[in-house]
Amino acid sequence: MRHRVVVTGMGVVAPTGQSVDEFLDSLLSGRSGARRISLFDPASLPTRVAAEVTWTRSDFRDRKIAFAMHAAEQAVEEAAACGSAPGGEGGLSLGIGLELFSMEDAVAAKHGDPVPSARRDRLTFLQTPSDLCVSMLAARFGLTAPPATHVSACAAGTDAVGNAFHLIAQGRRRWMLAGGADSMINPLGVAGFCSIGAMSTSNDDPPRASRPFDRRRNGFVLGEGAGMLVLERLADAVERGAPIHAEIVGYGTSFDAHGISEPHPEGRGAFQAMKRAIDDARVEPGAIDSINAHGTSTPKNDLVETLAIKRLLGPRAYQVPVSSTKSMIGHLISAAGAVETVAAIACMKADWVHPTINLDEPDEACDLDYVANVARRHPQQYVLSSSFAFGGQNASILLRHWPPC
Amino acid sequence: MNVLDFARDHLAITGCGSVVGNGCDPAPFLKIRKMRKFMGPHDDLAVIAASRPVQAAALPASLGERAGLYLAVGFIPFERADLDVLVDASVAGGAFSMDRFSTTAFSTLNPLLTFRCLPNMPAFHVSFNLDLQGPYWVGYPGIGQFYVALEEASAALADGAIDVALVGGVADQENFLVRHHFSRLDPPVDPAKLQSAAGFIVLERRTDAGRRGATLRGRLRCCRISYEPADPFERSDAYEEKIETVAFNGLAHDPGELGPASLAVALATAAPGTLSHQARSRDRFSADSEWELT
Repeated sequence: MRHRVVVTGMGVVAPTGQSVDEFLDSLLSGRSGARRISLFDPASLPTRVAAEVTWTRSDFRDRKIAFAMHAAEQAVEEAAACGSAPGGEGGLSLGIGLELFSMEDAVAAKHGDPVPSARRDRLTFLQTPSDLCVSMLAARFGLTAPPATHVSACAAGTDAVGNAFHLIAQGRRRWMLAGGADSMINPLGVAGFCSIGAMSTSNDDPPRASRPFDRRRNGFVLGEGAGMLVLERLADAVERGAPIHAEIVGYGTSFDAHGISEPHPEGRGAFQAMKRAIDDARVEPGAIDSINAHGTSTPKNDLVETLAIKRLLGPRAYQVPVSSTKSMIGHLISAAGAVETVAAIACMKADWVHPTINLDEPDEACDLDYVANVARRHPQQYVLSSSFAFGGQNASILLRHWPPC
Repeated sequence: MNVLDFARDHLAITGCGSVVGNGCDPAPFLKIRKMRKFMGPHDDLAVIAASRPVQAAALPASLGERAGLYLAVGFIPFERADLDVLVDASVAGGAFSMDRFSTTAFSTLNPLLTFRCLPNMPAFHVSFNLDLQGPYWVGYPGIGQFYVALEEASAALADGAIDVALVGGVADQENFLVRHHFSRLDPPVDPAKLQSAAGFIVLERRTDAGRRGATLRGRLRCCRISYEPADPFERSDAYEEKIETVAFNGLAHDPGELGPASLAVALATAAPGTLSHQARSRDRFSADSEWELT
């Protein structure tokens, strides 16, 4: 017995919007959230641009916790807007970023400053463990089923949503709060990515620095934020009259088992993850109407992802719109997959595909329809959304329009 | 409190492996020796502990698409030496200087630091060296997540998504940052008791294992997980972990200080008999399982 699973609540905190409506508007208008880093002085670092969330609250030192809580509030509130909350015991599936490490605290500790005595300060001094976010979300929303904390890096957000889908579909959980949260726009985070040459160095024109599939792409732009979704059984959602955004019908993962920082040259792992998601849904690749790509704007990813899509869809690949949310909001790392799932669902509901901005000179090897620069009206029945992690962990999720046509 | 019971009597353990303590050499298990430079202690531990049960189970060196990895990793172990260099080069007037960080310190930053500590890197190294291309689940940071990994592996085997599940836990806990974390808890954990460890088991459907002539090393009799959400800033003195064995006592290590690896290490080091494991974790998991080892 496999239960059908639907999304009944969504919340987002992204560089270009802190509600789903605001986020959708920004996506369809092709607005970039990238600018010069303001969270700290990037001084002489090779990369000095990022897509920051404008966040005036100061409730948590670790921004990703604040983002997660706010996005979750939106999602849960929306899921209960019909007058009743999802039934039965809920669980949490969260893709979460690295523990926040404070260079300021490290210097203080080195100079003999004592560890703060207040419990909250002590638990966030020097390093903030990321499982704090899981505990806080579970406590805040009374989620009593054992939580799953995903740390599969750039694939974690998609893994969190996909795992939650499987847990409900297989009858192991009744409903789930699922998503991802991350913020690595801090000195060590930015310096770490700079040191491996992964980020764009187009510092003079931040809004144009992220240019997936473009010939002049030179790395990703770091973003931050959170996306959270409420998932539940279709039967439960219908019974309580909940608003249904979309159905989740498939999820697949794979390892590249190839290179530590570069994808398999033929996109083997990316293909396998996408194929498994489609097989999981028991549909044919020909059913796919659009793809929300991983689309990082790195030279290797975009090329390999293109190859994988071609292998998946065959000649039809040229007719399926493929767009990169990261062209506008940057790479949200562990939150990316969740926020991009929100983007894909919101666009699918509106019968639009958002653009891949800054695609002015397409790479000859990236020759698919990437919805260059301008959003397009395009009704979709099935949308595939993918995330491919540094370290070769690949995840794809298949979404279906609600109601089915 | 939600109690999950996912005992899968049709599943068999066909291999176990573990390693305790840093300083172990993964070289014999590496497909390409030069990859060693990318590996931190938790990667070393994971590769050794994952390779042993695969060999013990007489599985092919290339696990391929029908094998999945289900792994719980411990807290992030940034290396002190790497960070000290950065910190020392970032100071001006006794305080952190972003200007110094972006110039002097950045030039000293070892790019390999990025690779050696990330929580998904043990999964990468295991998949790379065993050519494991199937699905995965990678969680963090304690024994509760090991049980969730076990549940996921069990479900994937039950619904036929995979034929082989490599289920493990790994934690580099002989690390200053990890010890810093445990020392500030309320009540604190004696850092000297924290050990680095990794443990893995190979799970297969009993019928498939029998068909390929694998030696059955045990089975999971029953397993339960529950969770009680609570404010993480409140005191948690409920933590305890117990491993009990019947008919033998073959445990070489204090099971309570091996983080997410504790159960898998116990399974790998126990002699035949019945092993029961009970854990109440600081992050509010309660889990227990009973295993029959042959």
